Amino acid sequence: MTHCTMDDLLALRDNEGSAWARRHADGCEACRKELEALYQRMAQLKALPPRSPARDRWPEIRTAVLAARRRRNTRWAGWSMAAAAVLAGVMVFRPFAPPSARAGELARARATSAQLEDRLRSSASEGRVLTGRDAAVIAQLEDQIAAIDGQLGTRSVSGVDAQLQLWQQRVNLMNQLVQVRVVRASYVGL
Amino acid sequence: MTISLAVSDILVARAKSGDLDALEGLYRAFETPVYNLARRILRNAEDAEDVLQETFLEVVKSIGTYRGDGHLWGWVRQIAASKALMKIRREAVRAADEFDETTAGGAPAAAVGMNLDLERALEHLSDTGRAVVWMHDVEGYTHEEIAEMMGKTVSFSKSQLARSHARLRKLLAAGPEA
Repeated sequence: MTHCTMDDLLALRDNEGSAWARRHADGCEACRKELEALYQRMAQLKALPPRSPARDRWPEIRTAVLAARRRRNTRWAGWSMAAAAVLAGVMVFRPFAPPSARAGELARARATSAQLEDRLRSSASEGRVLTGRDAAVIAQLEDQIAAIDGQLGTRSVSGVDAQLQLWQQRVNLMNQLVQVRVVRASYVGL
Repeated sequence: MTISLAVSDILVARAKSGDLDALEGLYRAFETPVYNLARRILRNAEDAEDVLQETFLEVVKSIGTYRGDGHLWGWVRQIAASKALMKIRREAVRAADEFDETTAGGAPAAAVGMNLDLERALEHLSDTGRAVVWMHDVEGYTHEEIAEMMGKTVSFSKSQLARSHARLRKLLAAGPEA
């Protein structure tokens, strides 16, 4: 007579047994006893008392965690300082923009400024209507442009970077002036 | 084994933010079950303590990735079981263990035939066999899960369980002088 193997019995215990194994175990005293022993062994395993570590490992874990945090902070601080230094260098020295490129930017800013001047001159001859508020804004912008022109006329602003910065500010103010004088005034003039 | 594994959400949230007191709270809550799992799988108490420490270093490192799906103990247990199995694998490679309780990691010759209690009988199984018995019969892992964690097949897990139970049966049934 063929009895259930341990595989068959374990499968039966886990409700995965074959129909043959189930039928056999139902009718075979020896296999039924083996199956019962398996159930008991599993219950005994689960009932074994828990084991506890002989010593407390938390102090070592804590020390390791703190050491890792210190290393991480030091690394971050190092990276942050290095990044800040690089950024500052880029801002001040503009290493990626060669002098010729900045000279080109300066020429473009001057040309743009001249184009905006032409546009303002042509709009002035059209005799458009201005509101009092727009007139005040225009006066303020013209004052600021005059101040920049004054700086550009001095010898103290000799470097390409300084000149470029002033010309870019002038272009920005001129754009605002065109906006008020041409666009807004023409709207009022309609 | 009945141990309370309940951990408050607040404690978990604090631990996630890196609060050391909260992390210690988690350690205290899971210290015994993690050690017990490792000790049941591993033959050596010192190795089990190492697994306890490695598990909690991993918990501290990765608690931010725990999304709260399922019980925290399930997550911690997975880490602990993986660490313990890794130790067995390392040991197996070192000792060229062929996962055969009759040739490696099995009972010392003098112990065969002794009437052993279950606790001692477990220690006479191979490392892999003991791990499979504990993880399947006590922790409730499926053969598929055990196979995945061990990097083996489902058949391997099933055969290890069957062979280990056959050996337990023999060890427990043998008379003192048999």
